Amino acid sequence: MSRHFSRAALAAVGALVALAVQPAAAQQASQIWTYWGSGAELAAIQSVIDLNNKAHADTPVEHVVIPGNTVELRRQLQTALLGGTPPAAYQSAMGYEIKTFVDAGQLRPIADVWNKVKGDEIFPTGLQRVMKVDGEPYAIPLNMHVISNIFYNKAIFEKYQITPPTTMAELAAVCEKLEAEKIGCLANGGGYFWSLYNFYAPLVSVVGVDGYFQIARGEMSFTDPKFKQALELYRDTYVKHYLANWSGKTWAQGGDDVFAGRAAMMQIGDWVSGYLKDLGFKPGEDYDYFPAPGVGKAVLIQVDAIATPNGSETSNAAADNFLTTAASPEAQGAFNLHKGSIAANLKTDPSIYDYIGQKTYATMQAAESDNAVLPNLFFLLPTELGSEFGAQIERFAIDPSDETLASVVEKLESVRVELVDQGAFVTW
Amino acid sequence: MAKEKPAPYERGIWVVYLLFLALPVAFFLVFYVYPVIDTVLTSFQRWNGLSPRRVDVGWRNYLALFDDGRFWNSLLNNVRWLVFYLFVPNAVGLGLALLLDRMTKGQSFFKIIYFLPYTIPPVAVAAIWRWLYEPNAGLLTSTLSAVGLGALAPNWLGDPAISTYSVMGAALWWSVGFSFIVYYAGLKNLPQECIEAARIDGANAWQAFWKVTFPLLWPSTAIALGMSSVDAMRLFDIVWAMTGGGPAYSSDVLATQMYDVAFGRLNMGEASAIAVCLLVAAAIVVMPFIVFMSRRVARGVE
Repeated sequence: MSRHFSRAALAAVGALVALAVQPAAAQQASQIWTYWGSGAELAAIQSVIDLNNKAHADTPVEHVVIPGNTVELRRQLQTALLGGTPPAAYQSAMGYEIKTFVDAGQLRPIADVWNKVKGDEIFPTGLQRVMKVDGEPYAIPLNMHVISNIFYNKAIFEKYQITPPTTMAELAAVCEKLEAEKIGCLANGGGYFWSLYNFYAPLVSVVGVDGYFQIARGEMSFTDPKFKQALELYRDTYVKHYLANWSGKTWAQGGDDVFAGRAAMMQIGDWVSGYLKDLGFKPGEDYDYFPAPGVGKAVLIQVDAIATPNGSETSNAAADNFLTTAASPEAQGAFNLHKGSIAANLKTDPSIYDYIGQKTYATMQAAESDNAVLPNLFFLLPTELGSEFGAQIERFAIDPSDETLASVVEKLESVRVELVDQGAFVTW
Repeated sequence: MAKEKPAPYERGIWVVYLLFLALPVAFFLVFYVYPVIDTVLTSFQRWNGLSPRRVDVGWRNYLALFDDGRFWNSLLNNVRWLVFYLFVPNAVGLGLALLLDRMTKGQSFFKIIYFLPYTIPPVAVAAIWRWLYEPNAGLLTSTLSAVGLGALAPNWLGDPAISTYSVMGAALWWSVGFSFIVYYAGLKNLPQECIEAARIDGANAWQAFWKVTFPLLWPSTAIALGMSSVDAMRLFDIVWAMTGGGPAYSSDVLATQMYDVAFGRLNMGEASAIAVCLLVAAAIVVMPFIVFMSRRVARGVE
């Protein structure tokens, strides 16, 4: 009896072990990973997937949602890359994120695809800069979100006869007028990003586009008097006029404030336009935007792109076909129709854009002709400094005291110096 | 009478034991021991988690960590969570269990109501409470405004001074069900004659509870306290989903800082150093519970 029992036990253990080590690589050969899991964003990426699978039926791809955001996607990617089971392609940020993966030897250069789709002709120059590392392209951009526009509630502006301000001083004056009428001026949301994005306008107005890139390259010290001046300008024009309790809200809840008339304006990426439309606002009638004073002709953008890790031959072929599809005007039109952003491929038919999109498209064209399309500084800086930058600006926005200002400058400078020592900065 | 030879079954049984133990031991070595060793080694390196290259930096990650105010704030928050978890959900759970124990009708209904939040995943709890805590129109602020106390409504999740305590409020609603069930089961198993004897001897309700009932509930209390200490040290989901450790790192705990440094900042070396510190802190806090439970199991086997 014991012999039978031992054999049965051995068989059970063996079966369990065999199950446990079954390879998973074959299942992930043609997956496209993104964190666009619901609503318009899911519809957007699915439209590109569908177009690809029609055009390249021999190398179909499927969309896999990695719930969360960039951080969760990186975590999942890291595990997959370490385990040798990467997806065919994935949603990537721009700039330093791409460089990190390239330096780690984890990304495949896509010069063939880039040349085939004429990437140097169809994408804005400023955007090309952050899709390439050492001149070699590694990702195809799907869209551009403009993050330097201030969206406003038209009813409030009309009621108090306010015209969109064009200078920082005018913005502050508009806020004071609204607050005298007990209307909140600027909505905002808590987290690493939104206060930082608001800070860019005061920053560019003080240090200029050259100074912006000096910071991106690690060449400007945070102890520079100009940086302090930018923080003070941010404090006096934005922070002073944020709606109460803004730091306890998400960006969507900030959008709710503009919709409900609790705040007149909000500087946030143009994804808020889609959100306001979902709430029931009509673009151009109920809400509109103006460029944040201080940025001049520049347009600050951030980008969703598709990058492809080193994989099997099948996986690489599927990825290359998907990237070719993704760069096409048809796919970019389908994607951005749902997403509410501007197609990265400037040859995309602009009839897909609503009122806000048309206005942004025209601004983008003008900025491109002036070579003034600026990528989001957060993604130009080494990852550690970008995140710290966002956290410290939020900290300053919550408590804009002189002590906090000094401590913010000290912390950022200490991180910058360490990263300069490591040679971490990129000459964009 | 000659001594009987042991049956073949008794001789072979040890082989069977070893075979069945092989898998869990293998899992333990592969999924616990090896990762802990690798994490300790990584904590002495600079590595972004993606590159095949790692650079040895000695104690630099630990020195940078100990010089970072964010780390000490995270550690202090874990201590705050430990104190919270040890006392608050357990006291509330005990109170609910005592209340329900006295009820003659509706016990089943209230048992479900009290335990139900514990079955909700922490990320869903965080999503719900993010809306409840919306500082202008959320349920809490609206309720306070409706009774004329709107001026008292704080910036629940946006004020660095109170963000941690706001998350604790959500955690209390979510986790009290566990303590409640543990104490309720304990109360149902108490020898009633001890309590009756105390009453006969003239003890009032409080004396009966404090001198008789509560000491007899020690096994339930030990489990509740032990699990609370574990929860306080491994806390991550509800904090990350509600505040991301913010605003301005105010609600950070060691696990959220570790996650942010590892995947938000691509600094696996420093994140591993945080992980090692968290392991040491958790071992100090949780070891008494493990020793207690091991001794209970050993006594039970005897």
